[in-house]
Amino acid sequence: MFPTNHKTIFVLDHTPYFGISSDYPIDFDVTKSRGPGYVPLPPVCKSLWTCSVEAAVEYCRIVWDLFPEGKLVRFVVSDSAAHILNTWAVSQQNLTHILNGLCLVGPVRPGAGGDVVGLCAAIESMGEPSPSQVTQVPTDRQNKNRGRIICITSARDNDSIRSLAEIALNTLVQQNKKASLAQPVASTDSTSNPQPLVVHYCHLVIINVTPEKLDSRVSDQPLTEMGGGLMGVEVRVSRASALANLLGRLVLPHYALATTTVTGIPMKEEQNASSSANYDVEIIHSADAHAGLRASQTVAEAAGSVVLRWWTPRGAEGGASGCSGPLWRVTPADVASRPSACLVNFLLNGRSVTLEVPRKGGGRSASHVLAAQGGELWIGALGGRMQYDDPPALSEGAGGRVTDYRIKEFGALMQQNRLHPLRGAGSNTRARSRLQRHTTYWPLTISSTLIFNLGAVVEPLTRLVVQESLSDEEVDQCRAVLLSLLGMESRHEFPATQLPTNMRGKSSGRREEQWRQVWSELEALVRAHAQSPAHRTLLRVLLECRAHNNHGNDGESRATVIRATTDSPLSPVGAGNGTAAAAAGDVWAPRSVLDALLGPPRPLRRPDFAGRMTAGNRVATLYPHLQQDVEAQH
Amino acid sequence: MGYVSLSMSRPVPSSDTTETHTRFTVASAAINTFLDYLCIHTKLEYVALVSFSSTFEVAVPFTRDFDTIRSKLPLLEEGDKTCIDIALAGVNQLILSEWGNQTPAQIILVTDGTCGVGPIGRNRIIQALPLPASYPVKIHVLPVVSPHETCLQQAMPLYQKIVDMASSAPNLANGTTSRGSIYCPDQLTVPGIVAAMTRLCEQQYQEFWCTLKCGQLEARVQLFPAPQTVINEGLGTTYTLSNQIQVIGFLQQQELGTPIAISKHLVIPQAQVGGNTSTRENYGSKTPTKEGSSTDSSATEEDMSDPSKIPNFCVLLHGALKVEGMAAIVQLGAEWWGALTAWCEASRARRSCLLLSAMRPGAKAAPWLGPLDQLGPPDEANAANPETFPVRSWRSYSGGGSGGAGGGGAGCAWARPHALLADVQKVLRHARKLPDKTQHLYKELNRLRRAAISLGFSELLTCVGSALERERASLPASASPECALQLAHAAAALRDPRTALDIKHTLTPLPANFAVTSMTH
Repeated sequence: MFPTNHKTIFVLDHTPYFGISSDYPIDFDVTKSRGPGYVPLPPVCKSLWTCSVEAAVEYCRIVWDLFPEGKLVRFVVSDSAAHILNTWAVSQQNLTHILNGLCLVGPVRPGAGGDVVGLCAAIESMGEPSPSQVTQVPTDRQNKNRGRIICITSARDNDSIRSLAEIALNTLVQQNKKASLAQPVASTDSTSNPQPLVVHYCHLVIINVTPEKLDSRVSDQPLTEMGGGLMGVEVRVSRASALANLLGRLVLPHYALATTTVTGIPMKEEQNASSSANYDVEIIHSADAHAGLRASQTVAEAAGSVVLRWWTPRGAEGGASGCSGPLWRVTPADVASRPSACLVNFLLNGRSVTLEVPRKGGGRSASHVLAAQGGELWIGALGGRMQYDDPPALSEGAGGRVTDYRIKEFGALMQQNRLHPLRGAGSNTRARSRLQRHTTYWPLTISSTLIFNLGAVVEPLTRLVVQESLSDEEVDQCRAVLLSLLGMESRHEFPATQLPTNMRGKSSGRREEQWRQVWSELEALVRAHAQSPAHRTLLRVLLECRAHNNHGNDGESRATVIRATTDSPLSPVGAGNGTAAAAAGDVWAPRSVLDALLGPPRPLRRPDFAGRMTAGNRVATLYPHLQQDVEAQH
Repeated sequence: MGYVSLSMSRPVPSSDTTETHTRFTVASAAINTFLDYLCIHTKLEYVALVSFSSTFEVAVPFTRDFDTIRSKLPLLEEGDKTCIDIALAGVNQLILSEWGNQTPAQIILVTDGTCGVGPIGRNRIIQALPLPASYPVKIHVLPVVSPHETCLQQAMPLYQKIVDMASSAPNLANGTTSRGSIYCPDQLTVPGIVAAMTRLCEQQYQEFWCTLKCGQLEARVQLFPAPQTVINEGLGTTYTLSNQIQVIGFLQQQELGTPIAISKHLVIPQAQVGGNTSTRENYGSKTPTKEGSSTDSSATEEDMSDPSKIPNFCVLLHGALKVEGMAAIVQLGAEWWGALTAWCEASRARRSCLLLSAMRPGAKAAPWLGPLDQLGPPDEANAANPETFPVRSWRSYSGGGSGGAGGGGAGCAWARPHALLADVQKVLRHARKLPDKTQHLYKELNRLRRAAISLGFSELLTCVGSALERERASLPASASPECALQLAHAAAALRDPRTALDIKHTLTPLPANFAVTSMTH
């Protein structure tokens, strides 16, 4: 479903008439005269053309500031021919492109022509699908092609306006006829040149522009339907000098926008830095941002600009984080004014502003926050309690009384898995498979692991083994770790300094036990990663070390073997087993080649029945919607 | 949030003669059923009780202490007549004052199965309804009436209208959620109404469970409030939260900023059930040491029966996010992302919890992070120098640096005279400070020219040309000869349409070799 404001086309009258002066003089000699003999400059008047261009450009500025995507605007300049300045393509939907196009059009030149040719071209353009319309299924009945044409022209009287609207309607009807005929044929070969769409609705806004002192015989006309609802025509009359204001007002309903006047912004005077005066800045944003104020507004207040007071920030502001709801983009109504620039720079520099509803009786209530993120300005609404306030204490929930989580280590893991803005698809997937590797063997608590508590002795190995692949030097580094552990064990030492006190064993029996845990944990760790050939090499080294170490104390090793054979294949493998596999040239790892080919390090378990997932602890109900449907039919 | 209103005390028609129930006691049974359900499934829900007739009264304001509602129920006083519009107006007032307009609410209208007995007909009631509300809401209707009564046939269209109108709230630009329903009892008895209310609870107040996964670590969690399916009408797509929330990676909290969120949910870790418990901790518990160690095995078993003593990934994640000041980016479903943060309520500084912000569906919910589907680990190749946040956007107000076009759109925002005046004054200020500002003067002139050409405003250039000429005429005698030469050069260029109005032409300062000659004599 595409709203009418998805596509807008400006038709600008570029006929000789628009070269005449607006008769609205602008005086540049505002500063006091600089003594005698200083000839004053004659004031300058813009032409009707200049007035209509700048008003249309300002309209676009607001639209594109607030909707960087999805709200498209095109320009058609009409004189003896129609000059189409841009297409619906995203790359041409920006002010720079429009302004360059306008440069090439140049000022009004003498000659013939009119607004009709441009209007017809605009209607034709309306039939061209936008990029997002191309991707939508054309048969979808929801997929209505609607749009708006804003035609800035100057007509003799109401009759000329009416005939202009009728020409537009006829063109539209003819074009729709062609488009609906072309549809079945074109669908086969229209890969390069997208077929024209039927226009389901066109909102035509005709703006009749006159110079300052000229009486116009055209009058405002409210929206009237033509052609059985195919077209809605609206006529506005405006002095050239007021045109920018008019379009600045029209843009609000066209895009469901509203304005807020931020009042009482303290600013230093340029000349006198010690004093500061208060300024107002008007900003434009989605009307939704005012939803919270609507209940307390009168009709008149809702139609005008909402006045909110600047709440001088005290200390650090939380940015937009205080908003529990959505944020909306903001743009200043008058982008070139100094107060606007001051407010914008304040925000772009990373500060945020709280706004409050001015109250006569005292008492303050914060209503909105203004903040910049990523170089754009945003407004968010404050207020109201949140449904999730007063949360249950984590310490009373599951896992809440466990006190030895490996929080610091998980912090390190998070740092290693930081995200960056990349280009191209598959980035998310790569991030996830990286996380998958990093968490393959990851005990949650300090007391459930020894190897991660041994500090620098084991650290190179635990750090390197999570990599996707290992170089020869890295394998050597890991081998060195294993050998040094082996050495320590044979010297009856234990790197216990890093361990929490309750895990330090003094007795030799306890120490042997700890060594056994170290080796089996290491094996579990390395086995979990034994995907690449280098990792398998490492696993072989590890198994050799274990074999070595188990030969030293005979009785123990037998026990291990017995336990290993009765355990599941996932549990640590005994010495004899390992060496046999190593001798065969490769080691057993808990994955088949097929698993390795399929990518994820560990086959996903079959997903649980969806009903059970949602049912939680209760008995899952089958066909939960059945009853609901019956209810709905009532 | 739940909320209830009632307005009836007519006796239940005496098909069931053994018990004497009024509609009111039947309705009370329904409400007790509702509260019983919440106690088991969503204890964190806030509920208020509003009774209405031709006036409304907040019997119990929003609370999690459901017993106050239970004890208040028998004390409610009967009113005069059913005025649904008054009831809804009262509820709107209550919800807006307590929750504002951004918190979704559910209203359960417990009423007597009539359109109400006011001076106005059904269509007039529909017009009088204060709907759609300015906050997101679902309204359910539970008529305490026998399904065969004729008044219900009349009232059903009204109820349907209420349900439909409630969900067409205007401020749901981010997508609408599903709408409410009407739940009629099969028969006008306590078991009948209890069954209807139970259906309502099971369909509308179901708790939401899912698995939070971070690589191979995972925890079963409950999300509160339960997330709703989001419908984007513009694209005709729906987004439903999947049963698995997958962590993609991590960001500093400043980098994350405040994304455009559509809802926020507490992430509450749940006790791991049965065999699911220790798949993760397998490695730890299966190490020979643990199995073999006879020390405190009894204590371990005791620990295992107390879920708060079994390590839970969720608690670890919360702790680490808090300590590091980081956030986790999670995938909620196809083309839908969220952020997990450790959130601390300001008023309860010590009670912190894990909060999920469900972002607006689509990859653009936080433009300063770039497209969300393209967040990833730095390439091995340029790991040393990865691209950083924020991804900046340029807007008309962004100011300098946005390329040569003179500040995007602001360059020609001359619709208001003061802006035009300021730009002309800037040129003249530079003109008065020659020769120091020669480069600045030409730069500003070219900027002015560019804007004037695109607006077809040649009159301006002629005027500025005259102004420069005037500056030249009023130069003091002591001024460097270069000033006069440059001003004359610039003025002439502005008044010659061939150089002034050709966009490909750039005005450049007069070559300064005369400076050398003036030095030599």
